[in-house]
Amino acid sequence: MRISKYARRLAKELFTLCRVEGRLEEARVRQVVHRLVTGRPRGYAGILRHFLRLVELDLARRSARVESAHPLPPDIRATLENALNRRHGPALRLAFVENPALLGGLRVRVGSDVYDGSVAGRLASLDARFQT
Amino acid sequence: MSNLLQEIEQQITGLSTGLQRQNVGIVREIGDGVARIEGLTDAMMNEMLDFGNGVMGLALNLEETEVGAIILGDYTGIKEGQEVRTTGKLLQVPVGKGLLGRVVNTLGEPLDGKGPITPTTFYPVEKIAPGIIKRRSVNQPVQTGIMPIDAMIPIGRGQRELIIGDRSTGKTTLGIDTMINNARLNRAAEEAGNQDYRPLYSIYVAIGQKQSNIANVIRVLEENGALPHTIVVVAAASDSATSQYLAPFAGCAMGEWFMDHGMDALIIYDDLSKHATAYRQVSLVLKRPSGREAYPGDVFYLHSRLLERSARLNEQNGGGSLTALPIIETQMGDVSAYIPTNVISITDGQIYLETDLFYQGVRPAISVGLSVSRVGSAAQIKAMKQVAGRIKGDLAQFRELAAFAQFGSDLDAKTQALIARGRRIVEIFKQPQYQPVPVELQVAVLWAVQNNFLDDVPVEQVKAFQGRLADFLTTRKADLLARLAREREIKPDLAEALKAALTEFKQLSA
Repeated sequence: MRISKYARRLAKELFTLCRVEGRLEEARVRQVVHRLVTGRPRGYAGILRHFLRLVELDLARRSARVESAHPLPPDIRATLENALNRRHGPALRLAFVENPALLGGLRVRVGSDVYDGSVAGRLASLDARFQT
Repeated sequence: MSNLLQEIEQQITGLSTGLQRQNVGIVREIGDGVARIEGLTDAMMNEMLDFGNGVMGLALNLEETEVGAIILGDYTGIKEGQEVRTTGKLLQVPVGKGLLGRVVNTLGEPLDGKGPITPTTFYPVEKIAPGIIKRRSVNQPVQTGIMPIDAMIPIGRGQRELIIGDRSTGKTTLGIDTMINNARLNRAAEEAGNQDYRPLYSIYVAIGQKQSNIANVIRVLEENGALPHTIVVVAAASDSATSQYLAPFAGCAMGEWFMDHGMDALIIYDDLSKHATAYRQVSLVLKRPSGREAYPGDVFYLHSRLLERSARLNEQNGGGSLTALPIIETQMGDVSAYIPTNVISITDGQIYLETDLFYQGVRPAISVGLSVSRVGSAAQIKAMKQVAGRIKGDLAQFRELAAFAQFGSDLDAKTQALIARGRRIVEIFKQPQYQPVPVELQVAVLWAVQNNFLDDVPVEQVKAFQGRLADFLTTRKADLLARLAREREIKPDLAEALKAALTEFKQLSA
């Protein structure tokens, strides 16, 4: 479905209104969705769709995916959480995932930034260097 | 041995793959050589993007949530959901003298099967043109070897002269002739050990041309010994629109290297109409808003930023130059279309080729009335100025009178003389392709015309007379031509020598 320019603009405005001090406030988001669904203004489907996408992207920016070959002990998790919060701001949602393909080390993705300290990643970059 | 160990250790330290922050995105849409990528929040304008497996892209559209990128090379292997990384680098091409004599693609990779190119230097494809402080005015000629151009529409080193005309009117031929002539001059200077001569290297950029035509151009250059002094950049009709869009910028970067190193280069963009079309395609697929004739709004800037990079640098900056000969193909002689008017206004003059003249047998079919060179006359050699100063006016007068003379037969002697002179000049300016004429010979022939040596030759025999005269001068009066080339000015004693030579020739041929 093609979203009109008007719907995009309105969704963006609503999204901006849902932010308080640079952070998205869940209560406001719920309120906006509720009002859109019940009020059904012109082009509401498009507005909702674009609004959803903006919220999705914001969540992706504020969530970190930590991949490791083995489950991480709680103290390392806590250190990692602190370090990531310092760098990317508080209220970062962390997800710990196991990925044996990494062989060892960690791979952390926050938004579109990737910190690759895994053995597999290092081997891949070594391989790329030897090929050039 | 310890040195060797240290070296290896250094290499290993260089290879240490510490924790690096990378900016990645995900391909959301792919098609027609253009990808839309989600993420890549750190991507910069015109930054190279790594699609993996050696495929690179170029970020052209930075939007709120997405990045629009064009893909360089084969885009068929790229899939939706694939990861893309920023590289922090701009698109670069290899530059330097090692490229001379080679045929390369937009990325500077060889296409001629003559082995790999080992470049030492790379230049960014997009670069800001030299500013006003670095420039100086045009003062050295580009000898095209084409008589009507060298005499009436002279081109200087650092100038941008547009070649415009309908299809198959000889636009490419003008460019090839210029390359052949300059390669001949370069070779002659090399053989004579002339250190004062500044060689002019050529770059021929084929954009959206048929492969057969490009092969033909390369063959002609090779046969005439011009290829060793030329770089051919090819983005053929079958190549992607993205590589056609980037080809002139890549060629320009190769030319800039010569300019920056105090050398002179000539670049021929063949042709910018197809370049504009390729850019329109890329822009439309990138969903940029379209304007007149569906071209994007920045199509003027596209060509102006490209052609502004041609310049003549001053002595403090090495004194190099980059001369541009862009080619534009018109439809039905319509010079007032969008792209032709744009490029006419950017360049320092244009050479207009007419279909009618071409079929009348006037080849090169240069329309003298519509062709101009705004800066080149400052670069003309003095001898040429002396003999060609009045020719453009004479020809214009002839065209006017010839039209008028069709209606009446009773003409006064003066008018008849003007018409007779005009007819002879038109004949003199006819020239077969790929046979450029050295400037000293041009001067001698034009001097003969101006001094009434051709007035008694019937118009239909002028060409044969000119051929015999050229043979006579090159074989028997080579020292006179050499003197003319050296002195670059017709002083009274040289004029006497020319007169004597021509009188001798007339007596011999009578």
